[in-house]
Amino acid sequence: MYFDNFAALINMDGHGVYVWTSVAVTLATMLWLVIAPLISQRGLLKEVSRDIQRQQNRDLAAKKTSNHEESN
Amino acid sequence: MNWLSNKLSAGPSNESPSWQWFYRLGSPRWFYLRSGQWLPWLSLAALLVLATGLVWGLAFAPEDAKQGNSFRIIYIHVPAAFLAQSGYFIMAIAGAIGLIWKMKISYMVMKAAAPIGALLTFVALFTGAVWGKPTWGAYWVWDARITSMLILLFLYAGVMALQYAYHSVDAASKASAILALVGTVNIPIINKSVDWWYTLHQPATIKLTSAPSMHMDMFMPLLVMIVGFYLFYAVALILHTRNEILRRERKTSWVRELVTAKAGG
Repeated sequence: MYFDNFAALINMDGHGVYVWTSVAVTLATMLWLVIAPLISQRGLLKEVSRDIQRQQNRDLAAKKTSNHEESN
Repeated sequence: MNWLSNKLSAGPSNESPSWQWFYRLGSPRWFYLRSGQWLPWLSLAALLVLATGLVWGLAFAPEDAKQGNSFRIIYIHVPAAFLAQSGYFIMAIAGAIGLIWKMKISYMVMKAAAPIGALLTFVALFTGAVWGKPTWGAYWVWDARITSMLILLFLYAGVMALQYAYHSVDAASKASAILALVGTVNIPIINKSVDWWYTLHQPATIKLTSAPSMHMDMFMPLLVMIVGFYLFYAVALILHTRNEILRRERKTSWVRELVTAKAGG
């Protein structure tokens, strides 16, 4: 390591504040760029499966009523 | 001669093997399924390369003779600025392909690239401002490089805004693509701004045409970080594009089959 110890790495001769702030903001932004689409993907997939469920219920209901009419 | 005339009359059809990959790439379904296989490997590679470059640059590279340790911001500032500009080209080219070949997927890539590029531009501006304080004594100066990067941020924002300005998806895509293409004028301006105008910003560290203006011990981690940022960009772009595919194709049978198969398995 270039620095003598961990404290020196954090302090960086007084420049640590600038360097570590930059690193933190950058990593947070990059993390957000990966996590945000994963969250919205979950929502989208849920929406699709709700659509499928609704369609199935509707098909089932349509079948029931047609059966009912036939038996009458 | 018969086979030749058959070939000629058929023209560049979907069956022509040399064009097959192009048409396949244009299929949202193919892209969605295939990119799902790429993602774990790309993500792992991005993570490893970024971790290596970051630890190397922050803890092991020697400090700059003039700037001291604040120069270490270069290891995120330069790659972010690099990708902010490369990402703009990717977005504009995707828009052009959409306009020329009416490829659905390339409009989706264009739309996905806009927020990623905007945030990377923000990172470049933010880290630049924080670096400016100990080096120039000011967070912000209205100099050519910084101002042209701010314009890049506005261009990204414009492309994002245009996506929502139209009721028709097609009209929105076309308008965004045209803005993206017109905005590419800004990229060479950003690149040359440090040469054309008197500016506080230091000249380019890396040029394709000459050796880097920095010592190898400092330069190697920077190169690793740039590769890492490219890998990260690929991961982010694929993730955003996949969502755009789901959003636009959610009524299609293949998406429904995919969701049903996932729920069943």
